[in-house]
Order: sequence, then structure tokens, then C-alpha cells
Amino acid sequence: MAVISETAIRPVVRKPIDWWRWAGRAFLTFLLLFTVLPMAWMVLTSVKSQFAAMQYPPQWWPAEPTLNNYFKLLDPNSRVGQDFLRYFWNSFYVSLVTTILGVVVAVPAAYAFSRFRFPGRNFMFFAVLVRNMFPAVVFLMPLFLLMRWMGLVNTHGSLILTYLTFGLPLSIWLLKGFYDNIPIQLEQAARIDGATRFQAFLLIVMPLSTPGIIATSIFSFIGAWNEYVYAYTFLSRDSQMTLPVGIQRFFTEFATDWPGLMAATFMMSVPVVVLFLVLQKYFVRALTEGAVKH
Amino acid sequence: MAEVVLKDVVKNYGNVYAVNNVSFTVEHGEFVALVGPSGCGKTTTLNLIAGLIPMSGGDIAIGDRIVNDLDPKDRDIAMVFQNYALYPNKSVFKNLAFPLQMRKLPKEEIARKVNDAAKLLDITHLLDRKPRELSGGQQQRVALGRALVRDPAVFLMDEPLSNLDAKLRVQMRSEIKRFHHNLNATVVYVTHDQLEAVTMADKMAVMNGGLLQQYDSPANVFAHPVNTFVASFVGSPAMSLIPLDVATQGTETSLRSPEEGWELPLSPMNARKANASSNGKVVLGARHSTLKLHRQAVPGAVPGKVYTVEPTGDVTFAQVFISGAVVNISLDPSVVIAPDEKVWVEFDQERMHLFDGQTTMALQAA
Amino acid sequence: MSIATGRATAPLAAGTTRKRAGILSRIIAHRTDYLYVLPALIVMLVVIAFPIYYTIELSFFRTPPNLQMRDKIWTGLSNYSTVLNSSVFHEVTIQTIIWTIASTVFAFLLGLGAALALHREFAGRGLLRALLLIPYVISAVAASYVWKWLYHSDFGVIGAISVALGITDEPINFLDNRQTVLASLIVVNIWKEFSFAMVMLMAGLQTVPDQLHRAAQVDGANTWDRFWHVTVPHLKGVSMVTILLLMVANFNSFIIPFVMTGGGPADASHIWITHIYQLAFGRQQWGVASAYAVILFIVMMTFGYFYVKALTRGDETRAGD
Repeated sequence: MAVISETAIRPVVRKPIDWWRWAGRAFLTFLLLFTVLPMAWMVLTSVKSQFAAMQYPPQWWPAEPTLNNYFKLLDPNSRVGQDFLRYFWNSFYVSLVTTILGVVVAVPAAYAFSRFRFPGRNFMFFAVLVRNMFPAVVFLMPLFLLMRWMGLVNTHGSLILTYLTFGLPLSIWLLKGFYDNIPIQLEQAARIDGATRFQAFLLIVMPLSTPGIIATSIFSFIGAWNEYVYAYTFLSRDSQMTLPVGIQRFFTEFATDWPGLMAATFMMSVPVVVLFLVLQKYFVRALTEGAVKH
Repeated sequence: MAEVVLKDVVKNYGNVYAVNNVSFTVEHGEFVALVGPSGCGKTTTLNLIAGLIPMSGGDIAIGDRIVNDLDPKDRDIAMVFQNYALYPNKSVFKNLAFPLQMRKLPKEEIARKVNDAAKLLDITHLLDRKPRELSGGQQQRVALGRALVRDPAVFLMDEPLSNLDAKLRVQMRSEIKRFHHNLNATVVYVTHDQLEAVTMADKMAVMNGGLLQQYDSPANVFAHPVNTFVASFVGSPAMSLIPLDVATQGTETSLRSPEEGWELPLSPMNARKANASSNGKVVLGARHSTLKLHRQAVPGAVPGKVYTVEPTGDVTFAQVFISGAVVNISLDPSVVIAPDEKVWVEFDQERMHLFDGQTTMALQAA
Repeated sequence: MSIATGRATAPLAAGTTRKRAGILSRIIAHRTDYLYVLPALIVMLVVIAFPIYYTIELSFFRTPPNLQMRDKIWTGLSNYSTVLNSSVFHEVTIQTIIWTIASTVFAFLLGLGAALALHREFAGRGLLRALLLIPYVISAVAASYVWKWLYHSDFGVIGAISVALGITDEPINFLDNRQTVLASLIVVNIWKEFSFAMVMLMAGLQTVPDQLHRAAQVDGANTWDRFWHVTVPHLKGVSMVTILLLMVANFNSFIIPFVMTGGGPADASHIWITHIYQLAFGRQQWGVASAYAVILFIVMMTFGYFYVKALTRGDETRAGD
């Protein structure tokens, strides 16, 4: 065996430049600019007057920043403000109801898919997943007729019903992932401890799946808040419109007021971005759940 | 306390029989270990007793009641799970209280019973903690506590020690044994570790492939294994098994190595057993402590070659190749032998086992 | 461990009742299980099964423009030949393929780069990830308006920048130009969804065992070797799923082309989905649009097959009943 002398001189090694790290930083900087600059320009435009926005070459930095566009949107006495606030409320109402109903329906279904082996389970699960595949437009025509037949055109009911189905496959899939991670022994223990199957679900499993329910709720809320196609097709009355459809209608009636539109776009994005930032952990987990396990 | 009776119990998934016509009776206050390799149907059997999965056929009785169609909650049982299955969002106190709450006991009585159980298991100082704040051994105690707080007719335990480290396992083993003794409880205990079964149980039910192989006291299972599976599963190191041919010349019966040609003469009793073999082939079984090692050929010894030598301190194990099979022999630590050394192994005619070469069942003297 | 492996022995003796149950009795035995799924099932039947059936039915009829469907006229397969023989359909098909592939490839590559660069711990990493995810979270309608303004032919900031940097002499009219419109929209789409790929791949990277990297380092592998021989094989599964999800999402996207250009100019930014919408709700040709949708349906079923296969990979049956 070789003996290492204690006095052996260590060669002086200069740490090599880590090119990969620098390449990574450069790439991230590029991505950050790519992501943020458009949003920054939206905000900068929203604090300009219409006159200041429509200039060439553009004012890179607003010379006279103003919050007028926002005041207008939030003023319940102006026509613009009335409409905007109503759209905002409609969006909120539709999204919230969709989210609550979605959880109520998805929770038992996801639990069943995770726990039971009943005949047809695989087929039904397949159906749930495949629904994810088809674009809204494929369902739009018959659904429009169906809604007309049920008298739901121009009601929020049509949207809630559609969003509910829209969201269900994903909700069920996400929740199933959470239930899969809850050991079945916990329920077995509860049933031996004197609980019925339903009590075991309600008292033991439900509290443990709270993170899953939160994640699923964020997803359905954001999905409903952002939805455009069905709302655009099913709603034609101003009083019912949700934000994505509403702001479009109301800014193309006149010559486009770009700063106003940017302010409205900003306001429309605030709730989802806040929701996302606060519950980011759940959101990311939900996004990747299922695809990355094992 | 109550007895547990299984009669012709079957659980199948299509053509796969997880539990196949299993029948046995656990007497009042008895500690029975269900033991076998993984996938042998022991946990399924336990789950059937608990009512966690529906039976495909047969009957199960606990106490005087047939419980076939009863919910787990109505069977008056308690269960300890391998992963403890403590409710992670409840404190230790609430974990212990849950079975009592489900039975709608008054608050003061719940508190009293929980505190009694906690005292018994020495976990009083842990009552406010959450399960994830406990060590493995502490979780184990809480799981036991949750089982005994309710004073059930039968305790079911599913590999309760297998998640513990070796040292703690030995300690908890004696605690569970003590606990059984103190409560005079009826216990059905599932384990894959035959040592646990042998050391703890009054009776052991050895299972393989969904079938009950043998149901008897550990001493009897050890001394009289019914087939080669039980023989090789119980005991450590396992019983050595050598497949041999039966050779009869006149009135003398011996065993012949099909590979090496040597013959081992049999005692009259063993000869009668060997002659009962269905196809003229037997499997010779011998435990390590019944064998003697010689450096020279002696009458009644067969030749072999040393494969490895494993000193463990108070005893040394030699593994010897005999007729193509590996045979374990325990030696005094002072014996010095080397791998590849040629040796002769002497069998104890009184304590050797003979199994049918075809059916693998223990041979009886005809 | 509850299901016995190996030996499928038949029961030894008589006395075993209920040993093999028929499908009907199995359904009856599990009847309570269905209660959990029932609400979901009903909603899905109404909003999914019916529309699929009705779309297929409509595809064989000529529909009146007033949408009084009792007046529809049976035309057999003529709607299908109308779709398949139209030159716009061919043009739109090519655009759909370009749109789907280009968006998917670039979004995936940007996402992969970001995931690799973000894998290493550094100050502000969480914030950076959150910022990059914002476009994915906000509504596509919002994204469309923002970019429509960035691309504006007279006052758009992108045009102004390219003039300021001397790349072009005057602002380019990105959206009102057959040559540039599709590429311009693809950029928006990539902006919106690359961070989805990033998040998926970041999660995938976390499944790569550190020990493997250290082992490879000991074996003398450099950064690139380790990426290629350790990271890439581990990312294969996630990448498959991510690419499939991106493909499906891109193939199905509607809002960006519809809101930004409405498929114009002269159909140059239509993809199948927007085209179907235009036929149905712009020109009231519901029969033709339905036939179109059925064709899309068939294509999606092919996707769907791989999608489900990739998603359920490793989702083995669990123990228990």
C-alpha cells in the first residue's frame, strides 16, 4: 500500500470557470426578460394617458404617469366602471360556484377510483382522462343546442355546468393522486376502531386530503376565471358576461383605448396571480402530480 | 376474550387463490402466529378475520358469533398495523380516544381509559404529541395502546415489529409477549419472521401459496415439520435438505447419492419410513445441531466438501456440500477447518427427517 | 402483499361457495362503490356523451342556418368530402401542424433549459420560478391583448425596438402579414406555456438520485456526460408526458389565434379549432363543422391513446379490494 507523505505538496489548482453555470445564468436572464418585459409594458401602458400611449417612437417611461385608467374601471358611477365591476363579480361568482361544486363531485369520485376495484372502473377512468383531450370547440355546438333546449343560454348556469365537467377530469385525476398517497391502513384502522366506511372517509381521509382539495380548488378556480370559449358562445347579454369576454366587448365598441385595456387586463390578472403566489406550493404540486410520481 | 374459528376460508381473485380452504381454531387467550414467506396469504387471512376484505367462501367465528357478514367495527377486534396506521393529524391522546369516541363513550370515561392505557405502555408524556414527532418504538407503543384501550375480544397484529430496528424489535418482542401474558388476550399475529413466531407464539400457522401447511405449537412444528417447506422455513439456520434415492438390498435399506454413489445405511425405523416413499426418492432433512463432522471416514458418515466457515462467536457454522446440496453444521468454535477441505458428516438416525421425494410430505413408518 | 403470487391452485375440497362470481354479481357486490362516482358520471354523461353523439349525428346532415335542427337534411358523407376537399382545409392543416409542433418543441426546450438552470440552489430561485410561471397562470385572453399591443403595427413596442436597434427600417406589421402572423402567434404561445414544461421537468429532475451523480463524478464523468448518461435517462418518462400534454394543449388552443387575429389575414393564422369555430358560429355551417370536428376527434383519439398510456404508466393495481 502506498504511504501518503504528510508533507506532500498539494498542486495548486485554479478552480476552472464553470461555463455551464454561466450559460445557465445567461439563459435564465434571457427567459426572465422574455417573461417579464411584456408584463412590464402592460403595466407601463396602463399608467399612461391614451395620448401618451399612441406615440411613435413610444414613451419608454411614462412622462406623466396616471392612475386614471384604474379609477375609471373601479368607479361604480361611470358606465365603464359599472360594466367592469359587474363582469368582475360575474367572473368571481361563476368561478367560486364552479370550484365548490367541483370539489363536492370530484372528491368522492377520486376516492372511489383510488380505493375501489369495481367493474368498469378502468373504463370510467379512461373516460375521465380522455375528456381532458378534447377541445372545447368539439363540444361547443351540441352543448350550445343543449343549453338552449334547457333554457340555460345567457345564464351563469350554462357556464357553471360546463366548467364543472371541464374541470372534473383534472380534479379527479389530481385528487386520486393525493388519495393514493394516503395509506389504506388508516381507513382500515378507523373501521376496526368502530367507524363505518363513510365515517372513516369523512373523519380520517378527508382531513388528510386537505392539501389536495386546496390544490384542486386553485386549479378549478383559475380555470374558470380564465375561460373564454364557452363564455363567448353562451353569453350574449352584457349583464351576464364574465371578464375575459366582457373586456373584449367593451373596448372594441369604440376605437381601442389601449391604456384602458391594459389596465383592465392587469386587473383581470391580479386575482389569479395573487392566488397563485399565495398557494404556489399546492399549484406546482398539482401541476406535476401524477406525471412525475414513482 | 374469545376464541376465533376459521373454517374452509377462501379468498380468490379470479383464478388466483390468496387464501385456500384455511381452517384453524385459536383458543381463548392463545397467541397464534400466522407465518410464511411474503405472498403466502397470511395478511389476507388476517384481513379476512378483521373483515377488511370480503371472503369468497367459508366461515369465520369470533366468540360465539359467525362474523362473515359483519363490518369490522362490529366484530369486537383491535388491530395493530405494520406501518402503525396512526392518524397523522390527531394527537396521541386523540388517536387513543378515537375507538372510544366511535363507541360513543362519555368523555370522562374516555379520558380515564386513555390515561390507563398510556400509563400501562409508559407513553403518558407523549399524549400531546403528533405521531410524526414520535420515534418508531414510540409509534409502536401508541399503536398498541390504541388496540388495547378498548378491551376487544381479539387482537390482530400485522407484522407490528418489522419497521423497527433489530435491537428495538427484540425489546418490543418481549413487551408484546408480556402484554399478552398480563391481559390473557387472544392474539393473532402475522409475521414473515419465523424467529418471532417461534419465540412469541403458543401456536404457529405456517402458510405457503394460500394453503395452511401446519398448525401446531412451535416446538412441534420445529420437531415434526409436516413437509419440506415447513422444514426449511422454521429454524435458523434452516434445516438442510438432501435429495437422495432409496436403495434396498435384502433386508437392509440405505440412501444412495445419485451423484456421488455413496450409501447411507438407515436404522430399522428410518428404513420403514424410506420404504414408504411413493417413487423411491426421499429428501433427507437434518438440523445443524444433529450433525457431526469428521476428518476421516467413519461408519455411517457420508463424504462432503467444506464450502464456507462462519464463526459467530459461541458457535461456528460450516456449510458443507453433500451430494450437491448445501448442509449447515454447527461446530465448536475451537474446531479449525478450511474451505475445500474434505470431511465426513455423520447423521443422527433418531433426529433425522425423511420426506417423500415427490409429495414433499414427511414420511411415516409403514 | 395481500394477493398471493405464483401458484394458482384450485380449491382443494368442496365447501367453497361463491368462488367465481359473474360480472353481474360483481357489479351488484360493488354497488355502493358506484355511488361515489355517480355524481361525476351523471355530469359527464350530460355534458360529454351527449355532445359526442350529437356531433357525430350532425356530421351527416345539412343544417339550416337558423339552427332549427328538426329541419336538418340527411346528406350522408358529403360534409366530410366538403371538408377534406377544401383547399382552405389543407392550408389550415399545415398551419395546425406547424403551430402544434413549433410551439411544443420551443416550449419544451425553453422549459428544459430553465429547469436545468434552476435545479441548482441559489438565492431568489423560488421567486424566479414564480415569476416565470405567471404567464402560464394568467388568462390567455390577457396574454393575447398584451401581445397584440406589443405587436401593434403603429405603436407597438417590438416594432419600435427593432427600428431603434437598426434591425428594420420601419415597424413591421407582425399580425397583418401572411408571412409573419403564424410565427408571431407561436411566440405568444411559447411565452404562455414554456413554464409549464419547466415545472414538470423540475419535478422530474428531483427524482434523479444524487448518488448517481456522485457515482458518475467518481467514475470521471464531466458535466455533459452526467447530463447525458444520468439526467436524460431519468427525465425520459416526464418528458414524454410533458410533450404529450403540450401537444394536446397546443392542438386544442383557441384563444390566442382567435382573439389576436381571428384566423386572419386571409386564413393565414387559422388552426383546426378556430376554423371549426368559424364554420359553425361564423357561417352557421353546423353540418360541415361537425364533420370537421369528428375528423379532429379521430386524430385526438390517437393522441389520447398515447396520453393515457403515458399517464397510467406505473399506475399498477393497488392491494386492497
